[in-house]
Amino acid sequence: MDFDLFLLFAQQGLASGVVVGSVYALLALAIVMIFKTSEVPNFAQGEVFMASGYLALFLLVFQGAAVWFTIPFTLVASFIAAALFRRGVLTQVAKASGSPVNLVIATLGLSYILKGLVRRTGFGDTPRSFPSLVPTDSIMIGQASVTKLDIAIFLTAVSVMALVFWMFAYTRTGRAMRAVGMNPKAAQLMGVNLEKIHMLIWGLSGVVSAIAALLISPKILMTAEMGAIVTMAFAAAIVGGFTSLPGAVVGGFIIGIVENFVGLFISSRAIAVAPFAAIMLVLIVRPQGLFGGKFAIKKV
Amino acid sequence: MADPILTVENLTIAFGGLVAVRDFSMQIERGTIHALIGPNGAGKSTTFNAISRFYTPTSGRVVYEGRDITRLPSHAIAGLGIARSFQNLELFNELTVLENILIGAHVHCGGSLSEMLEAQPASVMARIDEIIERTDLKSYRDTKARNLDFGHQKLLELARALAIRPKLLLLDEPAAGLRNREIAALDELLSDLCRRDGLTILLVEHVMQLVMSISHTVTVLNFGTKIAEGKPAEVRANPQVIEAYLGKETALHG
Amino acid sequence: MRSLYALRYIYLLVALAGLIVLPMLTSGYVVYLANLLLTFTVMCLGMHLVIGECGQFSLAQAAFYGIGIYASGLCSTHLGWPFPLSMLVSGLVAGVVGLAIGFFALRMRDIYLALATFAFGEAMQWVFLNWKDVTGGPNGLRIAPARLLNWEIISDKDAYPVVLISAMVMIALTILIARSRLGRSFRAVRESEVAAQAMGIDIRGAKLAAFGLSAFFAGVAGGMFALYSTFIHPDSLGFSTTILVLTMVVVGGLGSIGGAVGGAIVFGLISELLRQAPSFQEIAYGLILVLFMMYAPKGLFAFIGETFSRLKHG
Repeated sequence: MDFDLFLLFAQQGLASGVVVGSVYALLALAIVMIFKTSEVPNFAQGEVFMASGYLALFLLVFQGAAVWFTIPFTLVASFIAAALFRRGVLTQVAKASGSPVNLVIATLGLSYILKGLVRRTGFGDTPRSFPSLVPTDSIMIGQASVTKLDIAIFLTAVSVMALVFWMFAYTRTGRAMRAVGMNPKAAQLMGVNLEKIHMLIWGLSGVVSAIAALLISPKILMTAEMGAIVTMAFAAAIVGGFTSLPGAVVGGFIIGIVENFVGLFISSRAIAVAPFAAIMLVLIVRPQGLFGGKFAIKKV
Repeated sequence: MADPILTVENLTIAFGGLVAVRDFSMQIERGTIHALIGPNGAGKSTTFNAISRFYTPTSGRVVYEGRDITRLPSHAIAGLGIARSFQNLELFNELTVLENILIGAHVHCGGSLSEMLEAQPASVMARIDEIIERTDLKSYRDTKARNLDFGHQKLLELARALAIRPKLLLLDEPAAGLRNREIAALDELLSDLCRRDGLTILLVEHVMQLVMSISHTVTVLNFGTKIAEGKPAEVRANPQVIEAYLGKETALHG
Repeated sequence: MRSLYALRYIYLLVALAGLIVLPMLTSGYVVYLANLLLTFTVMCLGMHLVIGECGQFSLAQAAFYGIGIYASGLCSTHLGWPFPLSMLVSGLVAGVVGLAIGFFALRMRDIYLALATFAFGEAMQWVFLNWKDVTGGPNGLRIAPARLLNWEIISDKDAYPVVLISAMVMIALTILIARSRLGRSFRAVRESEVAAQAMGIDIRGAKLAAFGLSAFFAGVAGGMFALYSTFIHPDSLGFSTTILVLTMVVVGGLGSIGGAVGGAIVFGLISELLRQAPSFQEIAYGLILVLFMMYAPKGLFAFIGETFSRLKHG
């Protein structure tokens, strides 16, 4: 490969990678948010993402609803559904058995329920396209070609992330969430309503996943299996450090760029296995990822 | 006359920048009960964990029966005859009393293939039954560990350690949370184990009534260094020791 | 009390007798179903060992199952080996890979272990799909009929006795392991790694053994599958198969061998019934997982037992 081609690929890979990476970052953020506060990796994250995408598709395309209605409705619906799942299901699971493994299995159950429901509606049968709300003509950045949609995706994703970080750092609720993440018992003693915080976190995670779905859907073919994208998000969260929110964001961009580089420089077939290889590699070599704190030595 | 079963030589244990234990030395005489006391944060548990191989010291040695065990893996010491209990109870909660103690005897099962395949190996069952009797757990033989009351849970932790057939028993706050009646029973049991069975016991403890009652030797740690050592009565009268405990709730007059 | 014990044995004998005469009384489809359920039983036993006994949340069963199937298929088709040998090889190859995975997984805590084994399972499926020379890739692999000397296994009814005996052997092996010193060390590691070490148990060795054995079981299950199947495609060797096995074990009860067997049979039947309606199937799987985690975390049989005793004692 000559140098010019390498440079071209590198720029394209970087540009496309940053765009899709911003969406992965959002999803990874949603995953880590939940993990930090309840030590549960949400295996249903992808299906929440997928289901909200389909909800928006249904409203927009099949009901002819207006955009200004569809988007808020989808976000609110995701928030409520996720929060209800936490309150209705997980609280009961935690009561029935102390094991965190059971909570994970419950999220696995949710992922199947959501996938099945979407398939039931008949919409999941054939791949669908989601209309783009932004013009899709392309512009050049250096030697890389990106569409206006791509730019909109990137800017929106980054804004949402900034909003989330602002919320965690400067609002009372955000601080309560961080406290619960660090030490739930202490937070409770200080008057934090644990149940409410958990519901809010799950709700927020649902909203962020829905936003990610709304952003990426115009770029891809929607199927009931599109939740599989969550593997990228898990890889991103692990690379960044599963307990670090900024790590999730950085991880998202890294995975997005790596995915595009692998596709451009190796083969498109290799893309499928890249996130799994990344997950295994990171967990073996440096399980705390880039930004995760050192694993605590168990006090005996 | 001196027959140390365990020697701690110039032990220093640091975690990152924090030095928890500094240049600590101690000798434990075989067949005695030796207590390690000190205010909270003095480094007692840290030392304890280093001896039982859950931490590795930054420098110094731990010598057991003439053998340097400083860097042995933590699962190797049971086979040498060192058993320990845990401050925060590390019972096998879903397993019964019998099963818990049976795992204690793990290092003694499995000479032959048939032994390794037996659910209740004959060679150790007699001894296990004896331990169950002695620790007053007979009526709880088939009860799950998590269903026992706290006092019996602590006894189970002890019984499980005894199943190892130890020469040296390391007990981390065995009296913590016990009622007076239970502390008296523990007093009797430990003294008995030492006197009759020749067990050596190292005790980390805050409950002074127990320490003063059964210990032959007491070592006092404060801020990671030894500040006093000797017979219980001597140590109790030591002004430095009193000062170290001043302002703490634990009275030395217990 | 005595009579209750004897009753349990009578149930088992009746079940065994029923299993033995099954092929003579029913259609080929039922025998196929029985073969499939017995295969899944062995996979469930493997999962019971690694998750239920040793507490290591491994989500890679399908990968080891696939390795077993391909190993068996290749031995039969290309080497012409008799099936007892190829089944053993299936188990051993899968077991060795399991040991390797276990080695890397030693340092990981539960959740990270789940993610790492999940990633491994998916990566393995990708390998099955892309290593065309060995696995046939997206075209799948044709499996030649299993042979022993002059006997060739052609139909489900032919395969059934071998499948049944294999399952019985593996059940016996599981019971043996569970009762043994090794089984005790598994449970100790599950309950408290720290205390297990203090009792002289090498927890690394125990975890490795658990991984290796569960992979061996999955590999043998793969060998069983190869007895009555003529074709395998990587699509059936992904995470959804692992989830199926996990659901069976959860439904039956993670903590007991009877639970693993019972769960395989009960949920295997449910799953087969639901196969007619795929979208219902997913919803049903999900609902079962969620409802069991909410109300019967110890599994169906423990739940029934507890409900009975609660009703009896008012």
